Amino acid sequence: MSQSLQSYLVVSSALFSIGIFGLLMRRNLVAILISLELVLNSASINFLAFNKFCMPNKVTGQVFVIFIIALAAAEVCIALSLILWLSRRKNSINIEDAKELKG
Amino acid sequence: MTTPLSLLWIIQLAPILAFLSIQVLPKLAKKIAPLVGILCSLAAASASLKLLSIYSHGQNLPQQFIHPWLKIADGKISPTFITENATLVVGFLIDPLNLLMITLVTTITFFVQLFSYYYMAEDPSRPRYFAFLSFFSFSMTGLVLSSNLLQTFLFWELVGLTSYLLIGFWYEKQSAATAARKAFVLNRLGDLGFYLGVILLFLLFGSLNFLDLKSDSLRQALSPALLTLIGVLVFMGVMGKSAQFPFHAWLPDAMEGPTPVSALIHSATMVAAGVFLLSRAFGLFSASEQTLFVVLVIGSLTAFVGASLATIQRDIKKIMAYSTVSQLGLMVMAIGAGSPTAGIFHLSTHAYFKALLFLTAGAFIHKFHTNDIWEIGRKGGKKDLLAVVFLIIGLVSLCGVPPFAGFFSKDMILETLKEKNSFFYWVAVFVSFLTVYYSTRLFLVVFLSKITQPRHAEGLAHHDSFALKFCRAVPLISLASISLFVGFLSTPFFHHKILHWLGGHEAPLNPELLATTAILILAGGGLAFLQFKNPEEAETKLENDKGPLKILLDRKFFIDDFYAFLTKKVALSLAAILNWFDRTVINGLMVNQTSFSVMRLGRVASLLQNGRLQDYLSMALGVGVVIIFYLINPKGF
Repeated sequence: MSQSLQSYLVVSSALFSIGIFGLLMRRNLVAILISLELVLNSASINFLAFNKFCMPNKVTGQVFVIFIIALAAAEVCIALSLILWLSRRKNSINIEDAKELKG
Repeated sequence: MTTPLSLLWIIQLAPILAFLSIQVLPKLAKKIAPLVGILCSLAAASASLKLLSIYSHGQNLPQQFIHPWLKIADGKISPTFITENATLVVGFLIDPLNLLMITLVTTITFFVQLFSYYYMAEDPSRPRYFAFLSFFSFSMTGLVLSSNLLQTFLFWELVGLTSYLLIGFWYEKQSAATAARKAFVLNRLGDLGFYLGVILLFLLFGSLNFLDLKSDSLRQALSPALLTLIGVLVFMGVMGKSAQFPFHAWLPDAMEGPTPVSALIHSATMVAAGVFLLSRAFGLFSASEQTLFVVLVIGSLTAFVGASLATIQRDIKKIMAYSTVSQLGLMVMAIGAGSPTAGIFHLSTHAYFKALLFLTAGAFIHKFHTNDIWEIGRKGGKKDLLAVVFLIIGLVSLCGVPPFAGFFSKDMILETLKEKNSFFYWVAVFVSFLTVYYSTRLFLVVFLSKITQPRHAEGLAHHDSFALKFCRAVPLISLASISLFVGFLSTPFFHHKILHWLGGHEAPLNPELLATTAILILAGGGLAFLQFKNPEEAETKLENDKGPLKILLDRKFFIDDFYAFLTKKVALSLAAILNWFDRTVINGLMVNQTSFSVMRLGRVASLLQNGRLQDYLSMALGVGVVIIFYLINPKGF
């Protein structure tokens, strides 16, 4: 397959779908976190691909991706600490066990 | 100080001054409250006598002192009817009728206040009593002196209020409180009609001044049906205040009040206000034949019902109350037959002798502590010589024995009725017969009973101070002499003074009527004598009588039962229905169901908040997808 915009987009949408699937179906909080990373990464791939094919002289997309990576790092940091706290408290990281906030 | 206007102001304001100053008296000085009341009523009485002497020759009458109060601009209320200068006025009106009535009201008020000093000597709430009495006298003089129907209506309501306050004077007594309420409610029923009539009259005729209410101009301005309607509506107020059938039921119950109050308000002045209004606004009533006929019929019903119920009462005050009802009926009949002169003349004689009778009753009650005539007889009523003499004077005057006051006025009524309609004439004759019968009965029972329970020593020891004796005797003596004398004012010896004044014509003494009166007196007195010459026997017979007539009279012609049915059954079931409607429909269905459905909706919505992160997420995604599709292709939706 040639290196066209479409092929990048196919990869990124595959990643996005896998990520959403994981977000909705997995019960393990760490797995959900990983799926979230997949969704973010698919967005990063989109940014890079569009930057490369639509306006090659600029770096806007790449700057955005750096921001996304930084954001993902921060998010993982907070999410992991929450998960750690939950596992200490409930002795489980199953999301089914964390539903006290129901109406 | 002696111009008519300033005299009028004295008459009008002296009683209210007494009322206010009694109200603001410091607690220690409350003892002088009776003095204040008596002095102020003396001032009013002497002012009205002075006024009477100024105008006694009848020049310059009628005279008005009026002041515009509210100007109703053209077309503001009802564009088609109101005339340009529809102005409500306030002010005094003086004419012979007013002068006579105001003299009567203020003098009787004075005597009653004096007597009250004796009667209420031991009552702890004396200041309140004298304050209310003065307030009543203020309202009553206002009613009499007013120059138009609206002002009359205002004071009319005030006398109703004071009557309520004074009937319920001993409000800690359940029966007194109930009686006061009954009087108030029945009066309001009548006054509703009165007020509607006044409003209609003002809207359609444009003036409420008594001087404008001439039957000719009314007939020109309004259609006969409307005139009848207004007349009957205003007459409803009269029926309430003057205790006419079927509103008469409040007057006998009103005897729960102190006896001097009954003398002043419920026999002499306030209940006569209705009769006064009938002749005051006679132009309005006489403008329609039908109204006069209604007045005549109601009057005769009242006269008959009152007199027949008076024949079986045991309570001395109740006898007099029913007698008042029937005499008021006679006055109303006379006016209904087209002769306000006869009605007002009987009103004035009746006011004096009935006040005398009530004060005598008060003297008995105060001395023997009972209202029952048999009891009074047994406790030695006949020993109280002064009271017995005045009882006799009052009763013969009531019966219409010549030459007492009642004779002249009652004869005049009978004559008027005879000219008008023979059926009503015979009703009046029968009523007079009953009057003689129950008066004789009352007297015989008090006088002929054997004294079996003489008052015990302590009762005898209770001797009154000179002031008390004075206050007991003077009103009785004065009223008795007035009732002896006042009738003569209509005879040729005095140039028919009262009749000329009231605009009537003198009539020669009619021998036929004289004979009728004599026969009536003999028949009524004889019948009563046969039945009651032995009061003890008559008492047991009265107790054991179970005939249909006795039952009918005992139940007061079922009128009270009818009212009880109306309030207990009809009004209460209506209230029950409304209660049910309010509880189930308004409260249950509307208010509660609204809140319940909001709660239910909330509970359904709260199912969405199940606490599961992934459900929230899928919801958000779903909504997000829908929004995105909408943004891509808005027309697709």
